[in-house]
Amino acid sequence: MNISGILVVVPPARIEDATRELNALPGVEVHHTEPSTGRIVVVQEAETVEQEIAALSRIKALSGVMLAEMVYHVFDETPPEWDATPAEMAAS
Amino acid sequence: MELSRRNFLKSGVAAATAMAVGVPISRIASVAAAETEQDWRWDKGVCRFCGVGCGIMIATQDGKIVATKGDPDAPVNRGLNCVKGYFNGKILYGKDRLTQPLMRMTDGRFDKKGKFTPVTWDQAFDEMAIQFKKAYEEKGPTGIGVIGSGQWLIQEGYAMTKLMKAGFRSNNIDPNARNCMASAVAAFMQVFGIDEPPGNYDDIEYTDTVVAWGANMAEAHPVLWQRVIDRRLGHSDMKIVNITTLRNMTSEGSDLEIIIKPNTDTALLNYLAREIIQRDAVNQAFVDAHCVFCAGPTDIGYGMRATDKFAFEAEKDIQAREVEVTLTRDEAIGLGLDPEQVHTIKQANAATADRHWLVGFEDFKAGVAPYTLDFVAELAKGDAEESLDAFKAKLMRLADLYADPKRKLVSFWTMGFNQHVRGTWVNEQIYSVHLLLGKIAEPGNSPFSLTGQPSACGTAREVGTFSHRLPADMVVNIAKHRDITEQTWKLPPKTLNPKVGSHITKIMRDLEDGSMSWVWVQVNNPFQHVANANHWLKAARENDNFIVVSDAYPSISAKVADLILPVAMIFEKWGGYGNAERRTQLWREQVPPPGEARSDLWQILEFSKRITLAEVWKEQAIPGLKDEGFEEGKLPDVMAAAQEMGYQPEMTLYEALFETPENKAFAWPDPVSKGHDNHTVKHLGVDWFVEKALFEEYAGFGRGHHHDLAPFDVYYQDDVRGLRWPVVDGKETPWRFNAKYDPYVKNGEIEFYGGAMKELTTGNLTGPTTEEKTKFPGKAKIFFRPYAAPVESPDGNYDLWLCTGRLLEHWHTGTMTRRVPELHRAMPAAVLDMNEKDAEERGLKRQDAVWIESRRGKIKAVIETTGRNRPPRGYSFMAFFDESVFVNKLCIDATCPISKEEDFKKTAIKIYKV
Repeated sequence: MNISGILVVVPPARIEDATRELNALPGVEVHHTEPSTGRIVVVQEAETVEQEIAALSRIKALSGVMLAEMVYHVFDETPPEWDATPAEMAAS
Repeated sequence: MELSRRNFLKSGVAAATAMAVGVPISRIASVAAAETEQDWRWDKGVCRFCGVGCGIMIATQDGKIVATKGDPDAPVNRGLNCVKGYFNGKILYGKDRLTQPLMRMTDGRFDKKGKFTPVTWDQAFDEMAIQFKKAYEEKGPTGIGVIGSGQWLIQEGYAMTKLMKAGFRSNNIDPNARNCMASAVAAFMQVFGIDEPPGNYDDIEYTDTVVAWGANMAEAHPVLWQRVIDRRLGHSDMKIVNITTLRNMTSEGSDLEIIIKPNTDTALLNYLAREIIQRDAVNQAFVDAHCVFCAGPTDIGYGMRATDKFAFEAEKDIQAREVEVTLTRDEAIGLGLDPEQVHTIKQANAATADRHWLVGFEDFKAGVAPYTLDFVAELAKGDAEESLDAFKAKLMRLADLYADPKRKLVSFWTMGFNQHVRGTWVNEQIYSVHLLLGKIAEPGNSPFSLTGQPSACGTAREVGTFSHRLPADMVVNIAKHRDITEQTWKLPPKTLNPKVGSHITKIMRDLEDGSMSWVWVQVNNPFQHVANANHWLKAARENDNFIVVSDAYPSISAKVADLILPVAMIFEKWGGYGNAERRTQLWREQVPPPGEARSDLWQILEFSKRITLAEVWKEQAIPGLKDEGFEEGKLPDVMAAAQEMGYQPEMTLYEALFETPENKAFAWPDPVSKGHDNHTVKHLGVDWFVEKALFEEYAGFGRGHHHDLAPFDVYYQDDVRGLRWPVVDGKETPWRFNAKYDPYVKNGEIEFYGGAMKELTTGNLTGPTTEEKTKFPGKAKIFFRPYAAPVESPDGNYDLWLCTGRLLEHWHTGTMTRRVPELHRAMPAAVLDMNEKDAEERGLKRQDAVWIESRRGKIKAVIETTGRNRPPRGYSFMAFFDESVFVNKLCIDATCPISKEEDFKKTAIKIYKV
């Protein structure tokens, strides 16, 4: 699992819409905003770097996004829980 | 439990991100950030990848890197990172990391045809020394070579240079940077007499215009590109131009995209120079005070072998152009010749391509006169589907931007200029345009050569790890420079070899033709990155050559080696890099290397213990050596003089060159370490601080000579994020040659004080007309250079252009980035980007597997017509990161004859369905 902190910049007038659109993306959470400058800090959680890059591209593709770049990377190597309840059992 | 831990971590990451880029957050959030990071040790470092030199912060815990972040205090990137920043933490931990020496063996002994077998370090160095002595005894200093790197740490490059040049008396050391920015270097030296840019990245925030020439900055230098885009957001008059041979990501952010044909940049720049003169936009006062005009020979060949003895049958027609060329119609026009006549020109100046002489302004004006809008537009228009009128309008718009005296302008360029059979010329031409306008050496006005590797400047260029160089811009073929170096290194006179050694492509050719038979590769992958690879792979495996490769992963070069030495990577060792804006940055060892892996520096020093002075400082044969003060073809025995200086014949090179009394004075441990380890010192078993001693010894060359570095410890201060040299009286120099910022300027407001090649004969465009030389200290040169066609162009058989380059997610030959497994899945294989109509015409569609064939080889790949690179008709592109799609088997090994840098951008190919 990779967790990255990403800075997104949009025109200040778009900050609310952008926050909503960002939160709707899978694995993306808006944590901090600065309305006066249009800067938004999001955290992106992804299984793989592939997904992480795809997600960054999605963020860049949102309307009005002027900048979206990674700032922080954590290599979260929490060992898998072998004895956790498998998803297919939890569903039943 | 897991969920809450994850949420907690995410809050911490969010808060730390906000703090890094200065977004205000609550006190509670900042506490969360602190708690997330509380068990981690943070220290500053520099990104290991491109030449931008972004600052990163590295967190370690229990001997492992656990997190990285953009350094908010780094002036280069101000907290941002591109996706490659991520690799810094990940590349250390690939599954196939090499952790012990491997040698080809059969029945317990070295065997060229044997299998890789784990050996001890002693076994490895013993065999390496046996093989070294065999080659050295038989062929002398020219029989051995080192292929180094623009990713070498400053100290590694310095130690290897000293070992090779002072110890082995061989100039056959050359970095992969040769194929990255040698053209930029040659032009810096010829135009300014000193290497590296006048300006810096801050020019972006002062300018009104950025023009990218052959530089896909959005992919190759994304953090810098963000600064460009940011500048436009805050500055309504800002304009961005992308001059390219295909539509790419940089086009997306540009106001003007100009798609040109390969090599026509030389014509386009002459059009700009002509326009500037026609529009009376020359900054006459600046030119009169600070510039001279120059020209050089045009019959200079293409840096290929002059013989076709080793060429494949299919290569021979192009090979012949090294000797004699029939000018194209456009070349004839560009040289002011009658295009209706046939001009067949012997390439008489192939070996003297760097000659040049003074000419007058009127000569220059006459030289650029043929480059009218009509001529250049017709010649240069790269997209067949664009109208000529639309293209002409773009060229005029470009000229408007350059010629406007009120508009500040930065020109950026990288491999489109540098990897070019006229790479030095085109670098010189961009300076010509800026110098004519006086748009240079002040905030916002800057011709700026970007680099591709993290220490192409800091190590390859400043240390001088090229086959012709010594530290601080000195060269081996000038007696005074050798004297200074011999004195600094405490060598007997005439120890240093005055004959320029083999550049990287020539080292490969030497291995092929048998003039060299022992080579050591460090921190790069030349058997993948040097063009025309089929020749060199065969030379490595089939000829009686001994190839040593120091590598972290089983790269192509490691696979074709005879001995593989496992290396410590970036933050597993103490080191330093220098970026493209002259910023030197140093870091501490953060984590231990795995297994038996050791730093390249440790390997250099350990190997130097196996060679004695008696073996190297005796008389040596150097075929072709002719230099004043030397017997022809020979380096003298200097052992007697050495003994008078206190050296003994049985002393090792380690004792004579490295473990000197001066160096031993730098004690380890040192307070600057702050508890960080030093595995190099530990495994050498010494009590002196090797990296600090070598840095200080090296810095001695530049201090007081335009290249001042700060003391070692200063770079480790918490408040320092690298410093741009020259660092004089504790102050860095943001803009050189300008009295306001540069203490080395002694005369007037602007002074191009670089000292090299500032005394020349005078003549006209065809040659010098006097023997007498004129000095012009403090001035820069405005060169006239004509249009020259590529060495090979598509024809009826090989009917497509192929250009190679880099992608955002992968770096260079992919040795490191392909080890990030998820990432490798994201961009698993290199594809051939081509125009949809070209595909259709050949009965192909995207995702078809095809054979791609050139005169030099063929490879299989999948085609893409809707990728992020969109070539015009007749043009195709492929990245070079992927060893399974080995594009350098196709590329021609022609070079710029001045810089010896290969042209990876122009090979003629044909494709057909598998």
